Amino acid sequence: MVVKLEEILFIVTVLTYLAASGVYIWHLISNSRRAGQLGTMLLVLGLFAHTMALIFRWVDSGHAPMSDSYESLAVFSWGIVLFYLIMERVYAIRAAGAVVVPTAFIIASIALVLNKGPNPLVPALQSYWLWIHVSIAMLSYGFFALAFGAGFFYIVQEHLLKKHYQNVVIAFMIMLAVIGLGVGLWLGFGVWAHPLDIVDPVTKEHSNQYSNADILKIIGGGVIGLVVGIVLGFLAGKGASRPGFARRLPSLDVLDEVSYRAIAFGFPMVTIGIITGAIWADKAWGRYWSWDPKETWSLITWLFYGAYLHTRLTWGWRGRHSAVIAVLGIVIVLFTYLGVNYLLSGLHSYASA
Amino acid sequence: MLYPVPPAGAAPHSCGRPFPVSSLQEANSENIAALPKEVSKPQVSVGKRIFHFLISMKLALTLLFVIAILSVIGTILPQGQDVWQSDWPKSPLFDFYNTLGLFSMYYSWWFLSVLGLLVLSLFACIFNRLPTTVKHVFKPRIDVKDAFVANQPMAGSFAGGSGSVEAATEVLRRHHYRVKTGKKGSMLAQKGRYSSLASVTFHLSFLFIAAGAVLGGLLGFDYQLSLPNGQLVNVPQSNMQVESHRFDMQFVGKALLDDGRTVQVRQLMDGTVVRDINDGGNIVGAPFDLRPSLYSTDLEVFQNGKSIQRKTIQVNDPLELNGINFYQASFNQSSDGNVVSVLEVNHYPGKTLVYIGAFLMMGSITLALYFPHRRIWLKTGNSGQLLVGGRTNRSKFGFKRDFERIATDIKLRIGQEAGADGS
Repeated sequence: MVVKLEEILFIVTVLTYLAASGVYIWHLISNSRRAGQLGTMLLVLGLFAHTMALIFRWVDSGHAPMSDSYESLAVFSWGIVLFYLIMERVYAIRAAGAVVVPTAFIIASIALVLNKGPNPLVPALQSYWLWIHVSIAMLSYGFFALAFGAGFFYIVQEHLLKKHYQNVVIAFMIMLAVIGLGVGLWLGFGVWAHPLDIVDPVTKEHSNQYSNADILKIIGGGVIGLVVGIVLGFLAGKGASRPGFARRLPSLDVLDEVSYRAIAFGFPMVTIGIITGAIWADKAWGRYWSWDPKETWSLITWLFYGAYLHTRLTWGWRGRHSAVIAVLGIVIVLFTYLGVNYLLSGLHSYASA
Repeated sequence: MLYPVPPAGAAPHSCGRPFPVSSLQEANSENIAALPKEVSKPQVSVGKRIFHFLISMKLALTLLFVIAILSVIGTILPQGQDVWQSDWPKSPLFDFYNTLGLFSMYYSWWFLSVLGLLVLSLFACIFNRLPTTVKHVFKPRIDVKDAFVANQPMAGSFAGGSGSVEAATEVLRRHHYRVKTGKKGSMLAQKGRYSSLASVTFHLSFLFIAAGAVLGGLLGFDYQLSLPNGQLVNVPQSNMQVESHRFDMQFVGKALLDDGRTVQVRQLMDGTVVRDINDGGNIVGAPFDLRPSLYSTDLEVFQNGKSIQRKTIQVNDPLELNGINFYQASFNQSSDGNVVSVLEVNHYPGKTLVYIGAFLMMGSITLALYFPHRRIWLKTGNSGQLLVGGRTNRSKFGFKRDFERIATDIKLRIGQEAGADGS
């Protein structure tokens, strides 16, 4: 059956990304050319399986695979890998793969556990605006993630060059602790907790009710994620604390420029994403703006990066100042993309179904 | 090379336009009273001080920050009708919060005041920048001194001689630059010159959106209308009546077959279960995992007793008539157990302005950030050499690469021509 094949293909994809992550990290450490080539080969294979899985899903459900958390994350990780492979081909750099490929693996594996099979689209989502709005929004999130990565490595590189190794370890620990906390909380919400599924007898609309045990599971997920993140951050920070690693990273100038350029590309994207969302909302509900939590958080994201651009283009902020803003921005982006769906109810709440 | 980070206060810019440092340093929200001596001289009027306050970048960024924080609070506290379904009304803080307007944050007078101040600040900024920008784009400075060219962030000097300026111009044209000649023989080559203008029109687009929102808020209306089937209902604030001929809803879900398979089924409003693809087997038991897949109303609109339009509206497929929009919103169950369609009816006169603003915003921000404005000046220097120097308003890396390629090409061209002259 088609459904089964899609699931098998997606499992193959996630396993291939896991293997590729290992090979890319090995490549970064050893600088072996063979490892680099093997990594690219694995990643291309994974992307092929991933593409097939998405096509099967599309055919099976009859709509663009962007309607729930699984589909959205599956498409997001697919976009990351595709974009990265193009970049690798154009710029002939593989070092970034050690960060990008594990990120794609984490996102794809979270998608895997969230997969609940295809569902018919609720009436509000039955529109061609679905794929326009969602793909543009995801593209902007991708650019902000890139800006975050470059900004983070700017801070690391600056401390490496000054030989402040303690700060390098702290930077890695904070970053991975926050990511670990986010992933852990989210696993708690999306996977471990089994809220009561309450179906309205007339509308058949679903809503969730969390028990105390569920809340404990969610907090537990957060704590486990935090601890794992701190430990991994400590190990990664120790591993990175050597002059050789500074030479493997791009120069401060390049990192600063990449981070800025990514935001300069992402900002028009998020603008268009918000406006297409407003046009769609106007068509579906008769209001282009209703201060729904998702709308409001996308506005907050937009204001934040708008402020970044003003400090940079008008005040001339560069370097660490800009890098810190780019790093903080990802917290807002992640909350807009995922946090809102789980923590705040609103018109976009179908996304967590 | 590291970009120097200018110390705070020494950033002589407000709204992107250079401004005397002395007047800027103090012209911010915190201490407008403490203006330095030069500014607080009698000739600086109150109007000017307010203007300087409005165009300061610190004000704009502070306002963005305040709006963001208030918006966050608004997403945490229940808003509007949702309050009554929450536990908040039982809280001892409820009355206090309610008086502050925290439960209708986005419509409270102080939230709207902050938005209004931002719009005023934008208006002042555009007023401040527009003349300079227009001049900068349409009447740029072409005739410049040697030192001006040599001091550009990217600059080079080449062997001069007859035809060298023409050769360089030719190279720049081939690199897609538009070249203009000044009265004194200097030249200016430009690319993406509308980028600077786009940054102004981007800010202008807010004013359109704000105007549309205000117009909609003042003159618009919206309400929900319940439509029992076959009953003529007046549309308030219009001379129209509507009638629902049929309200329909459907669900999609799964059902078990007697041969053990699970198939996709549709459940109609009357409870009938339909299989769209029948490949054998019979359904056992009730369908499960049902989700709504369709709400629609067969709607007829009347004016002065005459039918003027009939359409089946759905979510995502509304009807617009005489500026009034009819949307499928939800449905109710009436006391006699019948299902009644509920429409959202609204009229927002400012919508066109909002859409103009939205499209202006999308176009401008794309133009402003994806197409940098690059300027290169060319002139024959005092000692006969060819001076080339330029700058950009965005991505310095891209411009550096561009400039280096151009410099190489110019060197090649001049070299060739010098060779041709010599033979």
